[in-house]
Amino acid sequence: MTYHKTAVILCACSSIISDTIDWAEVQRLLATHPCRPLFKVDELACGVDHLEQLAEWLRQEQPERVVVAACSPREHETTFRKLLADAGINPWYLQMVNVREQIAWVTPDPVQATGKAARMLSAALYRVQRHEPLSERSVPVRTEVAVIGAGPAGMQAALTLSRADRQVTLIEKEPFIGGLPVRFEELFPNLECGPCLLDPVMADLLHGAESAHVNLLTLSEVTEVTGSFGNWNVTVRQRPRYINRDLCIGCMICASVCPQHRPNGWNCTGELAAVDVPFAGALPNFPHIDAECCLKLQGGECDACLAECPVEGSLYFEDRERVVTIQAGAIIVATGAVEKQEIPTPFTDATELHTAYSFERLLAMNGPTGGEIVKSDGTAPASIAFVHCAGSLDADEVPYCSGTCCRAALKYAYLAESKLEGADITRLVREQSVPGVDAGRQLHGDTSRVVRYAGSGDLTVSVEGGGQLISCSESGQQIPAEMIVLMRPVVPGGGTVAAARLLELPLDGAGFMVPLHSLSAPCATSLKGVYLAGSCRGSADVRDAFASGTAAAGHALSDLVAGRNLLVDPQVATVDAALCSGCKTCLQLCPYKAISWNEKDKVADIADILCRGCGTCVAACPSGAITGRGFSRDMLRAEMEGVLS
Amino acid sequence: MSCQTLPPKIYQQSSSEGMVVKSSSRPKIIAFLCNWCSYTGADKAGSQRLTIPPEVSVIRVLCSGRVEPTLILEAFQKGADGVMVLACHPGDCHYKEGNLRAACRAELLIQMISQLGVDPNRFCFDYVSAAESEKFSRITNQFVSRLAVIL
Repeated sequence: MTYHKTAVILCACSSIISDTIDWAEVQRLLATHPCRPLFKVDELACGVDHLEQLAEWLRQEQPERVVVAACSPREHETTFRKLLADAGINPWYLQMVNVREQIAWVTPDPVQATGKAARMLSAALYRVQRHEPLSERSVPVRTEVAVIGAGPAGMQAALTLSRADRQVTLIEKEPFIGGLPVRFEELFPNLECGPCLLDPVMADLLHGAESAHVNLLTLSEVTEVTGSFGNWNVTVRQRPRYINRDLCIGCMICASVCPQHRPNGWNCTGELAAVDVPFAGALPNFPHIDAECCLKLQGGECDACLAECPVEGSLYFEDRERVVTIQAGAIIVATGAVEKQEIPTPFTDATELHTAYSFERLLAMNGPTGGEIVKSDGTAPASIAFVHCAGSLDADEVPYCSGTCCRAALKYAYLAESKLEGADITRLVREQSVPGVDAGRQLHGDTSRVVRYAGSGDLTVSVEGGGQLISCSESGQQIPAEMIVLMRPVVPGGGTVAAARLLELPLDGAGFMVPLHSLSAPCATSLKGVYLAGSCRGSADVRDAFASGTAAAGHALSDLVAGRNLLVDPQVATVDAALCSGCKTCLQLCPYKAISWNEKDKVADIADILCRGCGTCVAACPSGAITGRGFSRDMLRAEMEGVLS
Repeated sequence: MSCQTLPPKIYQQSSSEGMVVKSSSRPKIIAFLCNWCSYTGADKAGSQRLTIPPEVSVIRVLCSGRVEPTLILEAFQKGADGVMVLACHPGDCHYKEGNLRAACRAELLIQMISQLGVDPNRFCFDYVSAAESEKFSRITNQFVSRLAVIL
């Protein structure tokens, strides 16, 4: 074992340390240490003047290693690494000994404290001999961002980024943007009009000053993601719209003359023409053609739309599926949530049954009834029952509370009362969650009948005397319900599940994306360069969608700065390919997907950009092929031996 | 003869190569602390001027999942009287699940050291959060008392 010239700085911390630890005695105890350390006692090593003097001393002495005995490395490791750099020494040749917090302050007896300080310094001296010079790797990064999902969260993220001149690709699976709320007439709690709130946002995206920075891909889904933080390759499959967006003026004459029709899934009822828009005002203002419904695309003889289209070439039947690869430094997932589809048992045979979404469409001016609350026969219902928690708080279905449906139900009750004079309105409630000042006002203004029920087993639906009734077995109450609206739990959307699979990101118990930290990093993920916005993180309202969209964009803006390379922390794990036996043990362990299998050499590879240096793989490698830089086996062993010697 | 039939204390004789057992009143204890929770808790114990036994020597690692069982066995081999691994509480790991790996390894290690003839009371795995300075002080003091009975 060769020993390097090692300097030891002993900080008195304005006598806070030296009152308990006798630095002269420590020097005496360590005088025969095989490193033959060079000591310097300093009154307050972190002081600006002192750091300058210490740097000068280090420059004169030119040690190869430095040990600093002072406060916690959590407080001043960065300070002293910088001291080494200033003195022309590799900053990773530093080892700190925490003599203040972990010796002087917790060891009342000065003799014992001094002995322990000498022991811990001896260990640090042995450890620091094994340190390797490290440097941060500088990697050029792309500043473009791919945003998946063009609901309020994704749109807000895209707009925020584009206002900072970032190039954004906004990927949306539907033929239109705006997500769910663009289809809602009134938004809780202040009954703002959804399209009115979102139209300016959508207009900015499509036609505003920032629109030049936004490449919108509708009818598109991500099929593959490769690469890593700063350099992602996102493969997108775009289905054909059969409309030339450069020519189409959005007059919709084609839709009015099309002879073919298909069910309108977006309205949950009614029909659309084969070439049509899902609802009036859908943006971008172009129709799309459903190839399975269109006679011409199915090989039939039909030119109805072509004959009437005022701009030749707008209808583009030669359009084909495209595969686009986008290069981006960061990815923002804003894939959203949906309401649970299956109808719970007590309601499977009920008539005039709505879910929250289909009722929203009924309320919407651009919905199937022009905003009228009517039954399927066109008449107004004399009674409506809103069933809260229909499937939520139920261990067999969805155990959690979605947190948004009570507020929506209060809104529905209010709107139903305004639209249907004298109607009998009931809210069947298991639990009520209505947080917020504005929501409280709505709750206190609510005039509907509130009936508590115990669970879905408590309810039965029957038809008596021509009217539909909901019976609560526990309270014996019977509630007239010509129309029933089920407040179904909010569950992850299909896009959220797909994005998690493609990015190999973890999902929580309900299937939502797991943030890096639920409180302190709710819009980041365990994968660097992938951020979350909106209800892919769990049920959320419009306010949260806008806030998290801004937050996710903030992550991308601060992590990827034009002209600033990514500095990769050198304190990561590395694989010695010669020692790796190819057992693949480590591949399963890494929480950050930093380890991949190198098929060519049959060894594990660690991407330093993704590795966060925890060392779990280092501890697990049966061949000892993985080294944790900064915390290598040799370093820990030397430290241990130093303590025990 | 299977390992279970061996007399439990067969390896507890001093030798230059194997376990070193000394009857000293000042036990040597190595405590592996993770940077984010237990080490921070230990720092906080200092700020609050709690008492930590001087016998406890802290080795900082970034994550309790970094501490391989062989390192712990080596500590015993080199003369440690006791070894502690103090992790973040389940669900609090800075690296998501390193603490759970450490917990699994600790459970197996306890089984194994018993078979090797090392009293499992010499090993302590526990969870200490960044706020649990009191707990850090308590369990380090308790561990020293526990070792005093053995030694």
